[in-house]
Parts: sequence; structure tokens; C-alpha cells
Amino acid sequence: MEILLQLVISGIALGMIYAVIAFGYQLTFATSETLNFGQGEALMLGALVGLSLVSNIHGGPYLNYWLMIPVVIVFGLIQGAVVEWIGVRPSIKTKSEFGWIMSTIALAIIFKNVAENIWGKDDLTFPSPVSAAPFQLFGANVQVMQVLVVIGAIAMMLAVETFNRKSIYGKAVIATSNDPGAAGLMGINTGMVITFSYALSSATAAFAGVLVAPLTLTGATMGTSLGLKAFAVAIIGGLSSGMGAIVGGLILGIAETLTGFYISTGYKEVPGLLLLLLVLAVKPSGLFGKAAIKKV
Amino acid sequence: MNTRKIGLGIAMIAVLGAFPVAVGNPYYIHLAETILIYAILLFGLDIVVGYTGEVSLGHAGLFGIGSYTAGVLFFKFGVHYVLLVVAASITVTAVFGALLALPALRVTGPYLAMVTLAFGTIVQILINEMTFLTEGPLGIKVPKPALFGHKLTEFEYFYFVAIFMLLALVAINRILRSHLGRAFQALRDSPVACDCMGVSVYRYKVYAFVISAALAGLAGSLYTYSEEYISPNTYNFELTILFLLAVIMGGRKTRSGPLLGALIVVTLPSLLSDIKLFRGIATAAAVFGVVLAATLLAKKQKTVRDVIVPVISVVGMAAFSYNLENIVDWRLTIFGFMTLFVVYYLQDGIVGYLRASAEKIWPRNKSLASQAEADASKTWAPRAQTTPASGNLLEANNILMQFGGLKALNAVDLHVMQGAIHGLIGPNGSGKSTMMNVLTGIYRPTGGTVTFNGRSIVGSTPSQIALAGVARTFQNVQLFGEMTATENVLVGLHHTFRSNLFQVLFHTKGYRDEEHSAQQRAAGILQFVGLHDLAFEEARNLPYGKQRLLEIARALALDPSLILLDEPAAGLTAPDIKELIEIIRKIKEHGITVILIEHHMDVVMSISDTVTVLDFGQKIASGKPSEVQNDPRVVEAYLGGSGESLAPSPTLAA
Repeated sequence: MEILLQLVISGIALGMIYAVIAFGYQLTFATSETLNFGQGEALMLGALVGLSLVSNIHGGPYLNYWLMIPVVIVFGLIQGAVVEWIGVRPSIKTKSEFGWIMSTIALAIIFKNVAENIWGKDDLTFPSPVSAAPFQLFGANVQVMQVLVVIGAIAMMLAVETFNRKSIYGKAVIATSNDPGAAGLMGINTGMVITFSYALSSATAAFAGVLVAPLTLTGATMGTSLGLKAFAVAIIGGLSSGMGAIVGGLILGIAETLTGFYISTGYKEVPGLLLLLLVLAVKPSGLFGKAAIKKV
Repeated sequence: MNTRKIGLGIAMIAVLGAFPVAVGNPYYIHLAETILIYAILLFGLDIVVGYTGEVSLGHAGLFGIGSYTAGVLFFKFGVHYVLLVVAASITVTAVFGALLALPALRVTGPYLAMVTLAFGTIVQILINEMTFLTEGPLGIKVPKPALFGHKLTEFEYFYFVAIFMLLALVAINRILRSHLGRAFQALRDSPVACDCMGVSVYRYKVYAFVISAALAGLAGSLYTYSEEYISPNTYNFELTILFLLAVIMGGRKTRSGPLLGALIVVTLPSLLSDIKLFRGIATAAAVFGVVLAATLLAKKQKTVRDVIVPVISVVGMAAFSYNLENIVDWRLTIFGFMTLFVVYYLQDGIVGYLRASAEKIWPRNKSLASQAEADASKTWAPRAQTTPASGNLLEANNILMQFGGLKALNAVDLHVMQGAIHGLIGPNGSGKSTMMNVLTGIYRPTGGTVTFNGRSIVGSTPSQIALAGVARTFQNVQLFGEMTATENVLVGLHHTFRSNLFQVLFHTKGYRDEEHSAQQRAAGILQFVGLHDLAFEEARNLPYGKQRLLEIARALALDPSLILLDEPAAGLTAPDIKELIEIIRKIKEHGITVILIEHHMDVVMSISDTVTVLDFGQKIASGKPSEVQNDPRVVEAYLGGSGESLAPSPTLAA
């Protein structure tokens, strides 16, 4: 029983990371109906830049963990804007779906390869900002970092949601996501809004990167599978539902830790991917999404 | 054309035959072998990417399944008959292709890309984990196969691969030029129109994936024998990207494109390992890029913003090449930049670019190409109508169509007499197009019944309804843009083909006859709507009015008993409208029933036998044009206010 609880707690922490990345997919999908296939790489870059700041691999440490977070978020904002500028904007102009899929993938490959050349191909350990000693909760060992992950993930999503709902800039984002054409006619610079959504999306991913890094190994290859599984989460929950991202993330995170323990760690990626295939085959709009009416 | 093709074929066989003898170096023979194997896979990938327009990130997985089927059959089950192994690889991979296509039934675009990526990842994990079958990360060793008791040498195996490549080339060429290939291509341009032409989008997507997977399986099994050792790490995401890069860089929707693409991606890593060569290429590219940008700017064809990104990238690439010690580590970055470049500046690939340039220098005479034209006597005539000569052909009763809280159609009845022209009018948003979509099966009504020709069609798919004899056009033109006018009509004639895949592959007499008669009928139909001069023009290049006529031609190709025209006169000039009215009259004379949605009141009132008026989703009047025109409720719906007696206006534009 303790083991099960332990696995569920790890699953929740992992699931919240998926939820944050999935949330990032939703941000760009809402404004432009495009997705960044390099979302996982945005996370990886965030984690590695964070690592360079807090550890001694590049002559550091320059900052402590808490001060590093805002720097990484700014880095994420810039990285996302670059992806949008190079990879997405030209395809939106030409309305080429193939274009943005291929170019965000190409950028992801470039980021990964560059990271391999800067930080090496091996996984690195990320120093934990809090005590690594676990505490007891109903007999299960819980790490302080796991609690931080859950709090941080929720805080990030709440911050973005509040921004969207309360501020005038956020209203521009929502207006663009409802009807880009009309928003443009009302004087909203929809191009700016889309760039901004990419920046925000990569920033959330970069933040998720520094959250998850102390719990796992950090390296150039860490992003790809996280990005793919977070996409599964975004699909399972529905690309238009923030609640869906959280529920989907928790389902997947727990399913994964259970598979890893009871079946084999080699198979732990499988349930998420199978779930993705299943949801897409049965209800492509996701558990919480609304099916769009196709217009002819 | 045919002599040219035979000449090309002979030249290709000669080159392939002479290559190993001329080169002699086993390293280069092996490299050429790999190119041929990749080319086989790329032919298949091109069906999915080039023709159906989907992004598949799962082809490395399919390739792996093909490889491992061969490897496991040899290693675990001791199967030595190489042809049997190859056949098994093709079959197993094709089955997986069908599995992969199942989610593809529901989703497209980025979703499908992610599905295929997930599939590829699962395959790699399974190969790694199922050690009892695949030996896991250790890999499997397989020697060169024996054929008729003789073990093939590297030299002979090259010919073995070359023969399969040529077979694959012929097979794929035949498939893609047949009605199957046209269906694949139509899927990409307009899935909705495809369904409404009786070509089931679902079914043909599965076919496309299965054929594509079969080729990946063939390539995989040949690869196993070629490398003599396989391990899971080969079949990773990078390989998938490499395949995609090869197809789009070579040129999609061609056979030469994949061959060229395979040549590039296989030789590139060896070229890149030579740093001096790379510096030379990068410098040349930078000089070329800057000069090109400068000329374009001088001619004012492009703005600074247009050229800044490529100029920075080529110059950056050159600068980077001189600061580099070890190029191999940066291989993927270079591939990434190449992909970006191809996606934005070379969308039709190298072959497409060369073709376009060649056409600029030697323009193809398109009207000359239409010499295969049917003469006037062969103009279109519909097949004999099987429907009763009188009574109602279509009866829709009490139709309710609800979207959330909105009732787009509320208890609407529509009775269409056999052989009549039935006008359907109403202000914008009154539910006319919704009615069309209900009748053609695109929407399933929330309530009510629809019977066509005495049979209920509620719940039937659009393609079933189309095949039952209901054809339609679209308010916002839904042509297959990249296909010629003739090909568009041929997609409508898809239902006349009975040949299956094997008959197409072997070009049986039955298939050739079908193709010939379809071509003749297509020419006849184009003649009927007056588009015979533009038969070989791509649909997207036609002027708007002609596109509308082409939609009618395509609908007629279905041999319908009922044709639904959704605003056929919208955007047409006055002389075009006259022509259109003439065509609609002739369609009626041929015994085909017409439902006409139109805002040009003069058109509707002059040719309709009956007119039904909708407003806010409800039927407010139905009857002869003259009765409807004077109905106070109709006048009120169109002009507002309390229906004072108004003189019937010739054009009540809504």
C-alpha cells in the first residue's frame, strides 16, 4: 500500500510537469492553431541554461536556484519568439500546415544538436535547491522537490490564466483565439499576439524544465519524450481545456510510474503513447474538448 | 511520350547494370545499394506526404518492422528462402501500416503527425524491449541471402536490390497514375469534395498507408541483408526526419524526386565528413546567396525583410564552417537548416524547381496536349435513369438540425419532384447550406427523415449517398486544386472503375478499357460545360467562373439522379450566368433532378419549377415561382417591414 501511494505521489509530480508543457501547447494552438513540435526542446534548453547558471559547469555558479528562475523564463520567452519568427510566421502567411510542422521539427533538431555540442551528450545531475531528504506522508516517502513541482506548476498556470483574463493584453490573446480575423479588424496586432503566445509557451516549458530537472537527469535528450508525452496529455485532455491538461497529466503521470514499477521501466513510455492513439481513434477532441462543427 | 519513357527505362537499367562493373569498389557499391533501398521507401513515403498531404513521422518505425521481420525470420526461425522472407516483411509491415492508419481515420495534420511519431517511438521501444524475439540492443546478424542455392556476393546483391527498386518504381508509377492515385491526390486538396464524389476518404487513406508501409517493409528487409547487422538504434526519429527531408528536397509527387533525395541524404554524411569540401560548398552557397539577394533587391522583386533571413543563414553557415573542427557533431544542425531551407524556398523540391524552370524556357503547349479530345459527337450523355418517371425523388420530412442551442433547421419539409428544378432560397443564415449538408450526409440531422428514391439515407456516409446518385457542388469552391480539369472530372468518374490493386499493377485489359472509357467520358463532360479548351489546366489556375463550371462537370461525372447546386451563379459575370442557365436547362432535359440554391432571383425564378423559401431555419413558403414571389411572408423576410404589396423586383440580392 505504501508503495502504491509512493508511486501515485511520484506520478502526480510527473503529471503536473506534463500538464505545464501541455498547457504550453494549448497557448499557441489557441491563438494560431499551430503547435511547436519543439516544445520538449524548449524545456530541455530551459533546464540546461538553468544548470549552467546554478552549477559550476560553465564557470559558475552565478545565481542561486530561485534567482535563476526569472532568467530562465526570460530566456524561454526569447527562444519561443525566435521559433515563431523563423518557423511559424512564414507558414501562417502561406497557410501551409506542412510548413510549420516541418520547420518546428527542424528547429527542434537544431536546438537538440546545438545543446549536445554545448553541454555534451551525457546526462548531468541538477543540484537540488531543497533538502533531498524525504519526509513521511501516510507512510510514503515524499521529496520536498516533488511538492515544489506541484506548487510551481499550478502557480505558473494560474499566473498565465490570470494574465489572460484580467489584463487588456490578455484580452487581446483571447480575442485572437476566438476569431483572428475579427480581432485583426478591431486593431489588435494578431501577429504580435501569436508571437507572444509562442514566447509564453516556451517560457512555461523552460520553467517546467528547471522544475523537473532536480528530480531527473538533465541532458540534451531529455526533452523529446517529455514533449511527445505532453502532447499526448494535451490531446487526452483536449487542446482547448486547461482543466483537461491537468487531468490528462495526472492520468498519464500515474499510469507511467505504475507501469515503470509493476511491468518494466523500459515500457514506461508505452501507456501514454497507447492512450494517445486510443483517444485520437475514439474521441479526437479529447476528454474535455468540444468537437468543432465542420463548415462546408 | 511512351518512347521517351521506354528510353528512360533502358537508360536507367543500363546505368544500374554498369555501375558495379564500372566502379568495382565495394564501399561505393554498398553506398549505391543503400540509395536504392532508401529510394524504395521514399516512393512509399511520397504517397503519404506528396499525394495525400499528411506528415508521417512513423516511417522509420515501419522500416524497422520490415528489417526486423526479415532478421527475426532468419535468426529465430531459420527461414532461408529470401523471397519468402521479403514477402513476409512486406505483408507484416503492410498490416502495421493498416494499424497505423486506424487513428488516421479520425485525424489529420499535426494530430496525425504526432500519432505517427508516437507509433514510431513505440516500435523502437518494443524492438529494444522484446529481447526474446529481437535480441534487444544486441542486434541481429544476418548474412547475405542465397538464391537458388547460391549465396549472393555483395556484387550480386546489388543487382538483387536494383531489380526490386525497378519493380517498385513500375508498380508505384502504375498505382499513382490510376484512379487510386487520383483518389490519393484528391484527399489532399479537398477531403469533403472527395467524400461527396463517392471516394471514401477513410478507405483511401488506409490504402495509402498500407501501400506506403508495404514499400517500407520491402526496403527494410533488403536493408537487413544489405547491412548484415541490425540494431534498434538505427530506426530512430532522426532517420524519419532524414526520409522526410529526402522526399521534400528531391521533389514530391515525382519518381525522380525520391531517387534524387535518397542520393543526397545517403551521400551527404560522407561529403560532410570532409571539412574542406564543406567549407568550399558553404562559401560558394554564401556568395551565390548574397549575389542572388542583391539582384532581387536591385530589381525590386523582393524587400529587405524577404531576403534577410536566407542571407544571414548562408553567410552564417560559411562563417561557422571556418570555426569548426569536427563537422560530424554538427551533422543534424546542418540537416535541420537544410529542412528549413527546403520548406521555405524550395517547396516543390529540386525536381519540381527544375521542371518549373524548364517549362519557363520551353513552355508546354497545353491546347496541343488536348488532342486526345473527344469529338463533338461524343459529348456527354448521362446513363439511363433508373428512377421512377414521376413522383417525389427526394422527401425530407420534419428535419431538425440543432447546433448546441441553435436550431439551424426547424421542422423543415422538402419534397423534390422527379425531373424538376427545385429552387431553394432564403436570406443569408436561413439554413439553405445546412439543408444541403443534411441531404448529402455531411451533417446527420438531429431529427426527421430523408428518403431518396424510396430509401432512407439518414445515417449513410456522404460517399454512400453520392454513390446512390446525389451529386453536389459547393458554395465555396472545393476543387482538387493541384489536379487538372480532366483529372477533377476523373475523380468524379471513380465509381466507374471496378479494377482492384492487382489489376492496376498488371495493367490488365479490363483496367485499360476502364481507363480509356473514363478518359473519353471526362472529355465529353468537359465539352458539355464548355471547358474542353482548358482540359489540361490545373484547376487552381482556372478563373473563378470556370471553376464553378468545373464543379458542375465533376458532379455530373457521378451520373447522378439528383444534383445539388449551391450558389452556382455567385461571383459570375452576366454572360457567364446566361451560359450557366443554359447548362442547368440541359441537365434537366437529360432527366436529372436539380436542387438550386441561389441568390440571383432572376435565375431562380426563370428556371425553377418549384421554389421553397427558408427563413431562420423554417420553411415559410413553397410553390410555383410566381406564387412564392407574391407571398407576403417571403416579401417580409427579404425586405423587412409589414408586407405591403411590393412589385416583384428582378434581383432581390440578400
